[in-house]
Amino acid sequence: MNRTALVLGALLVVPLLLFLAVSLGKDPRAIDSPLVGKEAPTFTLEDLEGRVYQLAASRGRPVVINFWATWCQPCVVEHPVLLSGARRYAGRVDFVGVVYQDEPAAIRQFVATRGAWGPSLIDPGSRVAIAYGVYGAPETFIVNAEGTIVEKVTGLVTPQALERILGELL
Amino acid sequence: MRPIFVMLVTLMPLLAIELVAQTGASGPLGLDAPRLTEAPAGTPLTGARLDRRSAEVADRLRCPSCQALSVADSPTDSSQAIRQEIRELLAAGYSEEQVMLYFERSYGEFIRLAPKATGFNLVVWLAPILALLGGLALVIFRLRSARTGSSEKTNEPEADLAPYLERVRRESQQ
Repeated sequence: MNRTALVLGALLVVPLLLFLAVSLGKDPRAIDSPLVGKEAPTFTLEDLEGRVYQLAASRGRPVVINFWATWCQPCVVEHPVLLSGARRYAGRVDFVGVVYQDEPAAIRQFVATRGAWGPSLIDPGSRVAIAYGVYGAPETFIVNAEGTIVEKVTGLVTPQALERILGELL
Repeated sequence: MRPIFVMLVTLMPLLAIELVAQTGASGPLGLDAPRLTEAPAGTPLTGARLDRRSAEVADRLRCPSCQALSVADSPTDSSQAIRQEIRELLAAGYSEEQVMLYFERSYGEFIRLAPKATGFNLVVWLAPILALLGGLALVIFRLRSARTGSSEKTNEPEADLAPYLERVRRESQQ
Protein backbone atom coordinates (compact mmCIF):
# COMPACT_ATOMS: atom_id res chain seq x y z
CA MET A 1 0.00 0.00 0.00
CA ASN A 2 2.76 2.46 0.96
CA ARG A 3 4.67 1.60 -2.16
CA THR A 4 1.59 2.12 -4.35
CA ALA A 5 0.91 5.46 -2.68
CA LEU A 6 4.51 6.49 -3.23
CA VAL A 7 4.40 5.61 -6.94
CA LEU A 8 1.03 7.32 -7.43
CA GLY A 9 2.26 10.39 -5.55
CA ALA A 10 5.42 10.52 -7.62
CA LEU A 11 3.38 10.23 -10.82
CA LEU A 12 1.37 13.25 -9.79
CA VAL A 13 4.05 15.37 -8.16
CA VAL A 14 7.01 14.89 -10.54
CA PRO A 15 5.27 16.23 -13.68
CA LEU A 16 3.86 19.11 -11.63
CA LEU A 17 7.33 20.00 -10.31
CA LEU A 18 8.80 19.80 -13.82
CA PHE A 19 6.02 22.02 -15.15
CA LEU A 20 6.62 24.57 -12.38
CA ALA A 21 10.39 24.45 -12.87
CA VAL A 22 9.99 25.29 -16.55
CA SER A 23 7.19 27.84 -16.12
CA LEU A 24 8.60 29.77 -13.15
CA GLY A 25 11.71 30.64 -15.16
CA LYS A 26 9.59 32.49 -17.70
CA ASP A 27 8.22 36.02 -17.61
CA PRO A 28 4.43 35.59 -17.28
CA ARG A 29 3.88 38.87 -19.14
CA ALA A 30 6.00 37.83 -22.12
CA ILE A 31 3.46 36.33 -24.46
CA ASP A 32 4.87 35.21 -27.78
CA SER A 33 3.48 37.30 -30.60
CA PRO A 34 2.19 35.44 -33.64
CA LEU A 35 3.16 38.51 -35.65
CA VAL A 36 6.91 37.95 -35.29
CA GLY A 37 8.19 36.87 -38.69
CA LYS A 38 5.13 38.29 -40.41
CA GLU A 39 4.58 41.52 -42.30
CA ALA A 40 3.93 44.44 -39.95
CA PRO A 41 0.38 45.80 -40.30
CA THR A 42 0.85 49.16 -42.01
CA PHE A 43 -0.94 52.19 -40.64
CA THR A 44 -1.44 55.89 -41.13
CA LEU A 45 -1.81 57.95 -37.99
CA GLU A 46 -1.55 61.56 -36.91
CA ASP A 47 0.69 62.88 -34.19
CA LEU A 48 -0.36 65.44 -31.59
CA GLU A 49 0.16 68.31 -34.02
CA GLY A 50 -1.87 66.67 -36.77
CA ARG A 51 1.16 65.62 -38.81
CA VAL A 52 0.53 62.37 -40.63
CA TYR A 53 2.89 59.43 -40.30
CA GLN A 54 2.70 56.41 -42.60
CA LEU A 55 4.54 53.25 -41.64
CA ALA A 56 4.78 52.33 -45.33
CA ALA A 57 6.89 55.46 -45.87
CA SER A 58 9.56 54.02 -43.56
CA ARG A 59 10.07 50.99 -45.82
CA GLY A 60 13.79 50.62 -46.49
CA ARG A 61 14.77 51.43 -42.90
CA PRO A 62 14.21 49.46 -39.69
CA VAL A 63 11.45 50.89 -37.49
CA VAL A 64 11.05 50.75 -33.72
CA ILE A 65 7.33 50.95 -32.90
CA ASN A 66 6.74 51.58 -29.23
CA PHE A 67 3.26 51.48 -27.66
CA TRP A 68 3.37 53.69 -24.61
CA ALA A 69 1.40 55.89 -22.21
CA THR A 70 2.18 58.48 -19.57
CA TRP A 71 0.33 56.50 -16.87
CA CYS A 72 2.64 53.54 -17.43
CA GLN A 73 5.64 53.70 -15.08
CA PRO A 74 7.91 51.38 -17.12
CA CYS A 75 7.28 53.67 -20.12
CA VAL A 76 8.62 56.59 -18.08
CA VAL A 77 11.68 54.53 -17.12
CA GLU A 78 12.40 53.44 -20.70
CA HIS A 79 11.91 56.95 -22.12
CA PRO A 80 15.62 57.91 -21.80
CA VAL A 81 16.60 54.59 -23.45
CA LEU A 82 14.49 55.43 -26.49
CA LEU A 83 15.71 59.03 -26.48
CA SER A 84 19.34 57.95 -26.65
CA GLY A 85 18.50 55.18 -29.13
CA ALA A 86 16.75 57.61 -31.46
CA ARG A 87 19.74 59.96 -31.27
CA ARG A 88 22.25 57.18 -31.86
CA TYR A 89 20.44 55.62 -34.81
CA ALA A 90 19.12 58.88 -36.31
CA GLY A 91 18.75 58.61 -40.07
CA ARG A 92 19.23 54.85 -40.01
CA VAL A 93 16.30 53.71 -37.88
CA ASP A 94 12.88 55.32 -37.46
CA PHE A 95 11.50 55.53 -33.92
CA VAL A 96 7.72 55.76 -33.74
CA GLY A 97 5.54 56.00 -30.65
CA VAL A 98 1.90 54.92 -30.67
CA VAL A 99 -0.03 56.33 -27.73
CA TYR A 100 -1.77 53.51 -25.87
CA GLN A 101 -4.99 54.64 -24.23
CA ASP A 102 -3.91 58.02 -22.99
CA GLU A 103 -5.02 61.61 -23.24
CA PRO A 104 -3.36 63.92 -25.80
CA ALA A 105 -2.99 66.63 -23.13
CA ALA A 106 -1.02 64.26 -20.86
CA ILE A 107 1.19 63.16 -23.76
CA ARG A 108 1.80 66.77 -24.82
CA GLN A 109 2.87 67.73 -21.30
CA PHE A 110 5.07 64.65 -20.94
CA VAL A 111 6.84 65.27 -24.24
CA ALA A 112 7.27 68.97 -23.46
CA THR A 113 9.06 68.22 -20.20
CA ARG A 114 11.00 65.07 -21.10
CA GLY A 115 11.58 65.42 -24.82
CA ALA A 116 10.43 63.34 -27.77
CA TRP A 117 12.28 60.47 -29.40
CA GLY A 118 9.81 60.25 -32.29
CA PRO A 119 6.27 61.13 -33.25
CA SER A 120 3.61 60.35 -30.64
CA LEU A 121 0.82 58.98 -32.78
CA ILE A 122 -2.81 58.98 -31.69
CA ASP A 123 -4.52 55.64 -32.34
CA PRO A 124 -8.28 56.23 -32.68
CA GLY A 125 -10.29 53.31 -31.32
CA SER A 126 -7.01 51.47 -30.53
CA ARG A 127 -7.23 49.89 -34.03
CA VAL A 128 -3.48 49.73 -34.47
CA ALA A 129 -2.90 48.43 -30.93
CA ILE A 130 -5.42 45.65 -31.59
CA ALA A 131 -3.83 44.81 -34.95
CA TYR A 132 -0.46 44.48 -33.19
CA GLY A 133 -2.00 42.42 -30.38
CA VAL A 134 -0.85 44.79 -27.66
CA TYR A 135 -1.55 43.42 -24.17
CA GLY A 136 -0.29 46.47 -22.30
CA ALA A 137 2.23 49.26 -22.30
CA PRO A 138 5.08 49.34 -22.99
CA GLU A 139 5.39 46.93 -25.87
CA THR A 140 7.89 47.42 -28.64
CA PHE A 141 7.89 45.91 -32.11
CA ILE A 142 11.00 45.98 -34.24
CA VAL A 143 10.31 46.02 -37.96
CA ASN A 144 13.10 45.38 -40.44
CA ALA A 145 13.74 47.33 -43.64
CA GLU A 146 11.54 44.90 -45.58
CA GLY A 147 8.57 45.56 -43.31
CA THR A 148 8.69 42.31 -41.35
CA ILE A 149 8.33 42.23 -37.57
CA VAL A 150 11.53 40.64 -36.29
CA GLU A 151 11.04 41.00 -32.56
CA LYS A 152 8.55 42.00 -29.90
CA VAL A 153 9.76 43.28 -26.55
CA THR A 154 7.23 43.11 -23.73
CA GLY A 155 7.93 45.59 -20.97
CA LEU A 156 11.01 47.77 -20.68
CA VAL A 157 13.40 47.99 -23.61
CA THR A 158 16.94 47.96 -22.30
CA PRO A 159 19.81 49.70 -24.11
CA GLN A 160 21.47 46.29 -24.50
CA ALA A 161 18.39 44.76 -26.14
CA LEU A 162 18.02 47.74 -28.47
CA GLU A 163 21.68 47.58 -29.44
CA ARG A 164 21.55 43.84 -30.04
CA ILE A 165 18.37 43.88 -32.15
CA LEU A 166 19.22 46.96 -34.21
CA GLY A 167 22.85 45.84 -34.54
CA GLU A 168 21.62 42.69 -36.28
CA LEU A 169 19.45 44.73 -38.65
CA LEU A 170 21.98 47.38 -39.67
CA MET B 1 -16.69 84.78 -65.96
CA ARG B 2 -15.80 81.84 -68.15
CA PRO B 3 -11.94 82.18 -67.85
CA ILE B 4 -12.29 82.28 -64.07
CA PHE B 5 -14.43 79.16 -64.13
CA VAL B 6 -11.89 77.35 -66.39
CA MET B 7 -9.06 78.45 -64.10
CA LEU B 8 -10.87 77.16 -61.02
CA VAL B 9 -11.65 73.82 -62.68
CA THR B 10 -7.99 73.49 -63.68
CA LEU B 11 -6.62 74.54 -60.30
CA MET B 12 -8.95 72.51 -58.05
CA PRO B 13 -7.37 69.09 -58.74
CA LEU B 14 -3.89 70.64 -58.38
CA LEU B 15 -4.89 72.16 -55.05
CA ALA B 16 -6.27 68.80 -53.92
CA ILE B 17 -3.05 67.01 -54.92
CA GLU B 18 -1.01 69.62 -53.05
CA LEU B 19 -3.16 69.22 -49.95
CA VAL B 20 -2.77 65.43 -49.97
CA ALA B 21 0.99 65.77 -50.55
CA GLN B 22 1.27 68.13 -47.57
CA THR B 23 -0.64 65.97 -45.15
CA GLY B 24 0.41 62.68 -46.66
CA ALA B 25 -3.11 61.45 -46.02
CA SER B 26 -4.14 58.92 -48.62
CA GLY B 27 -7.12 57.59 -46.71
CA PRO B 28 -8.69 57.45 -43.26
CA LEU B 29 -6.46 57.21 -40.22
CA GLY B 30 -5.77 53.80 -38.74
CA LEU B 31 -4.78 50.62 -40.50
CA ASP B 32 -4.00 50.92 -44.20
CA ALA B 33 -5.66 47.63 -45.05
CA PRO B 34 -8.32 45.53 -43.35
CA ARG B 35 -6.80 42.68 -41.37
CA LEU B 36 -9.49 40.27 -42.47
CA THR B 37 -9.03 39.71 -46.17
CA GLU B 38 -11.20 36.64 -46.61
CA ALA B 39 -14.88 36.89 -47.50
CA PRO B 40 -17.42 36.90 -44.66
CA ALA B 41 -18.60 33.35 -43.98
CA GLY B 42 -21.76 34.31 -42.12
CA THR B 43 -24.67 36.65 -42.63
CA PRO B 44 -24.63 40.30 -41.61
CA LEU B 45 -26.25 40.72 -38.21
CA THR B 46 -28.32 43.62 -36.93
CA GLY B 47 -30.38 44.60 -33.90
CA ALA B 48 -30.87 42.21 -31.01
CA ARG B 49 -29.11 39.31 -32.78
CA LEU B 50 -26.03 41.48 -33.29
CA ASP B 51 -26.12 42.50 -29.61
CA ARG B 52 -26.43 38.88 -28.46
CA ARG B 53 -23.73 37.46 -30.75
CA SER B 54 -21.35 40.34 -29.96
CA ALA B 55 -21.77 39.62 -26.25
CA GLU B 56 -21.17 35.90 -26.84
CA VAL B 57 -17.92 36.48 -28.73
CA ALA B 58 -16.78 39.07 -26.17
CA ASP B 59 -17.42 36.46 -23.50
CA ARG B 60 -15.01 34.04 -25.21
CA LEU B 61 -12.16 36.54 -25.51
CA ARG B 62 -9.70 37.43 -22.77
CA CYS B 63 -9.35 41.08 -21.80
CA PRO B 64 -5.75 41.84 -22.87
CA SER B 65 -4.95 44.13 -19.97
CA CYS B 66 -6.76 42.28 -17.13
CA GLN B 67 -6.27 39.17 -15.05
CA ALA B 68 -8.58 36.32 -16.11
CA LEU B 69 -11.44 38.56 -17.16
CA SER B 70 -13.36 38.35 -20.40
CA VAL B 71 -13.66 41.24 -22.84
CA ALA B 72 -17.39 41.22 -22.07
CA ASP B 73 -16.83 41.69 -18.33
CA SER B 74 -13.99 44.18 -18.52
CA PRO B 75 -14.51 47.94 -18.36
CA THR B 76 -11.04 48.75 -19.74
CA ASP B 77 -10.48 50.87 -22.86
CA SER B 78 -8.82 47.98 -24.69
CA SER B 79 -11.81 45.70 -24.08
CA GLN B 80 -14.17 48.44 -25.15
CA ALA B 81 -12.19 48.82 -28.40
CA ILE B 82 -12.28 45.06 -28.98
CA ARG B 83 -16.04 44.95 -28.32
CA GLN B 84 -16.49 47.66 -30.95
CA GLU B 85 -14.45 45.69 -33.50
CA ILE B 86 -16.38 42.48 -32.75
CA ARG B 87 -19.61 44.33 -33.42
CA GLU B 88 -18.36 45.78 -36.69
CA LEU B 89 -17.10 42.43 -37.95
CA LEU B 90 -20.32 40.58 -37.07
CA ALA B 91 -22.36 43.36 -38.66
CA ALA B 92 -20.25 42.92 -41.81
CA GLY B 93 -21.21 39.23 -41.95
CA TYR B 94 -18.11 37.56 -40.50
CA SER B 95 -18.78 34.38 -38.57
CA GLU B 96 -18.00 34.03 -34.87
CA GLU B 97 -15.06 31.75 -35.61
CA GLN B 98 -13.68 34.21 -38.18
CA VAL B 99 -13.85 36.95 -35.56
CA MET B 100 -12.10 34.73 -33.01
CA LEU B 101 -9.37 33.94 -35.55
CA TYR B 102 -9.00 37.61 -36.38
CA PHE B 103 -8.06 38.40 -32.79
CA GLU B 104 -5.98 35.24 -32.46
CA ARG B 105 -3.84 36.32 -35.42
CA SER B 106 -2.82 39.46 -33.53
CA TYR B 107 -2.79 38.31 -29.91
CA GLY B 108 -2.08 34.62 -30.22
CA GLU B 109 -4.13 31.81 -28.76
CA PHE B 110 -3.87 33.37 -25.29
CA ILE B 111 -6.65 35.77 -26.28
CA ARG B 112 -9.07 32.85 -26.16
CA LEU B 113 -10.40 32.59 -22.63
CA ALA B 114 -10.87 28.83 -23.10
CA PRO B 115 -7.94 27.23 -24.93
CA LYS B 116 -8.68 25.08 -27.95
CA ALA B 117 -8.92 21.36 -27.10
CA THR B 118 -6.01 20.32 -29.31
CA GLY B 119 -2.37 19.29 -28.77
CA PHE B 120 -0.83 20.16 -25.40
CA ASN B 121 -4.00 22.08 -24.49
CA LEU B 122 -5.73 18.74 -24.08
CA VAL B 123 -3.95 18.48 -20.71
CA VAL B 124 -6.00 21.43 -19.47
CA TRP B 125 -9.24 19.80 -20.59
CA LEU B 126 -8.42 16.25 -19.55
CA ALA B 127 -6.60 16.90 -16.25
CA PRO B 128 -9.77 17.73 -14.24
CA ILE B 129 -11.54 14.62 -15.61
CA LEU B 130 -8.51 12.45 -14.87
CA ALA B 131 -8.18 13.96 -11.39
CA LEU B 132 -11.87 13.28 -10.75
CA LEU B 133 -11.59 9.68 -11.96
CA GLY B 134 -8.40 9.22 -9.92
CA GLY B 135 -10.11 10.59 -6.82
CA LEU B 136 -13.11 8.33 -7.39
CA ALA B 137 -10.83 5.30 -7.82
CA LEU B 138 -9.01 6.20 -4.61
CA VAL B 139 -12.27 6.51 -2.67
CA ILE B 140 -13.51 3.15 -4.00
CA PHE B 141 -10.16 1.53 -3.21
CA ARG B 142 -10.17 2.88 0.34
CA LEU B 143 -13.77 1.89 0.96
CA ARG B 144 -13.16 -1.63 -0.31
CA SER B 145 -10.02 -2.12 1.76
CA ALA B 146 -11.82 -0.71 4.81
CA ARG B 147 -14.69 -3.16 4.27
CA THR B 148 -12.30 -6.10 3.82
CA GLY B 149 -10.37 -4.98 6.86
CA SER B 150 -13.49 -4.72 8.99
CA SER B 151 -14.72 -8.17 7.89
CA GLU B 152 -11.34 -9.61 8.80
CA LYS B 153 -11.50 -7.94 12.13
CA THR B 154 -15.01 -9.21 13.01
CA ASN B 155 -13.63 -12.10 15.09
CA GLU B 156 -10.83 -10.05 16.59
CA PRO B 157 -12.84 -8.37 19.36
CA GLU B 158 -14.00 -11.75 20.63
CA ALA B 159 -10.43 -13.05 20.56
CA ASP B 160 -9.23 -10.00 22.40
CA LEU B 161 -12.03 -10.23 24.92
CA ALA B 162 -11.60 -13.97 25.51
CA PRO B 163 -9.51 -13.63 28.70
CA TYR B 164 -11.93 -11.09 30.12
CA LEU B 165 -14.97 -13.15 29.21
CA GLU B 166 -13.35 -16.15 30.83
CA ARG B 167 -12.70 -14.09 33.95
CA VAL B 168 -16.29 -12.86 34.05
CA ARG B 169 -17.49 -16.42 33.65
CA ARG B 170 -15.24 -17.61 36.47
CA GLU B 171 -16.23 -14.80 38.79
CA SER B 172 -19.90 -15.31 38.10
CA GLN B 173 -19.52 -19.01 38.95
CA GLN B 174 -17.94 -18.13 42.29
